[in-house]
Amino acid sequence: MTDQGTEVAEPGAAVVPAPESGGAVVAHSDHAPVAHEAGHGDHPTPRQYVLIAVVLVVITGVEIATSYIDTGHSNLIIVALFVMAAIKFFLVAAWYMHMRTDQAFFRRVFVVGMVGAGIVYGILLFVFSSTVLKS
Amino acid sequence: MAQAVVTSGETSPVVAPEDPHQTNTGVSNNKLAIWVFLASESLFFGAFIATYFLYRGRDIGFLKGPKPEDLLNIPFTSVTSFVLLMSSLTMVLALAAIQRGDHRRLRIWLLATAFFGMTFIAGQVYEFTQFYREGLHLGTNLFGTTFFVLTGLHGAHVTIGIVWLLSLWGRSMQGGLPRERHEAVEIAGLYWHFVDVVWIFIFTAIYLIPQH
Repeated sequence: MTDQGTEVAEPGAAVVPAPESGGAVVAHSDHAPVAHEAGHGDHPTPRQYVLIAVVLVVITGVEIATSYIDTGHSNLIIVALFVMAAIKFFLVAAWYMHMRTDQAFFRRVFVVGMVGAGIVYGILLFVFSSTVLKS
Repeated sequence: MAQAVVTSGETSPVVAPEDPHQTNTGVSNNKLAIWVFLASESLFFGAFIATYFLYRGRDIGFLKGPKPEDLLNIPFTSVTSFVLLMSSLTMVLALAAIQRGDHRRLRIWLLATAFFGMTFIAGQVYEFTQFYREGLHLGTNLFGTTFFVLTGLHGAHVTIGIVWLLSLWGRSMQGGLPRERHEAVEIAGLYWHFVDVVWIFIFTAIYLIPQH
């Protein structure tokens, strides 16, 4: 009923007055959505989203060009490629996933997973590093 | 008592938002769930990316079937990667649209995101088919095994995301996605962006890093 402006509450849902609607009765249940939360800062504008996309495309172009460079130092190329991939990751996570502005608790939960994966698989790869990095 | 009808403004109904401070954690349960899920997915994909690196070049001396450098088509995959990157932009524009209460643009951007996702999957199917015709199967060699498992699992995630996006589009068409329920789009967006982020690393690991 989005465009019609009418909402039917779920059966059994608690009914409470909505101050912002002049006392209109609205449904309040556990399944109701969250609008804006404490600590939930302003999201970027569409213009900023497009700007980030342009930066991501430019970095991707540099990545692809780098992969064609034949310097004889493949370790350097590998490090450069992973640095660029990490920059792209941080741009998407910070701007598109709103980790910059969203509640810090969500950020911590995700970082625990990322850091955990990094430590576990970093140790694994370190043990077998000779097959990963070639001089 | 069972039902209450609310009539509000012109475009969106008033639905009382869940107060995150009324949850046990003080944050939205749905958002917490997706962030925990994405954290676990980091470990999931990390395992397969690490496995790819562990087995990379290990059977080079007795490699059966075609060599990776003869198969991998970087220009083609760069285009599909670009498409997936752009789908993240359209996804976030869909979220911005519903937060403004612009349901027409929400539906356009959701469809655009799903379309980009389907284009990516079509490219992956084409690539898999090409590799198969060249003689690379799941069991041909270590590259075949790690490549098909890693990219195939990622493709499965993209496919799930496409179904999710189309279901949101369907809900919006039926009027079941008012402005106040923008969190449903935000959660789908978090999943979609994560899938994009994973591809950033897979693309680098498999295609861009020199094979020798």
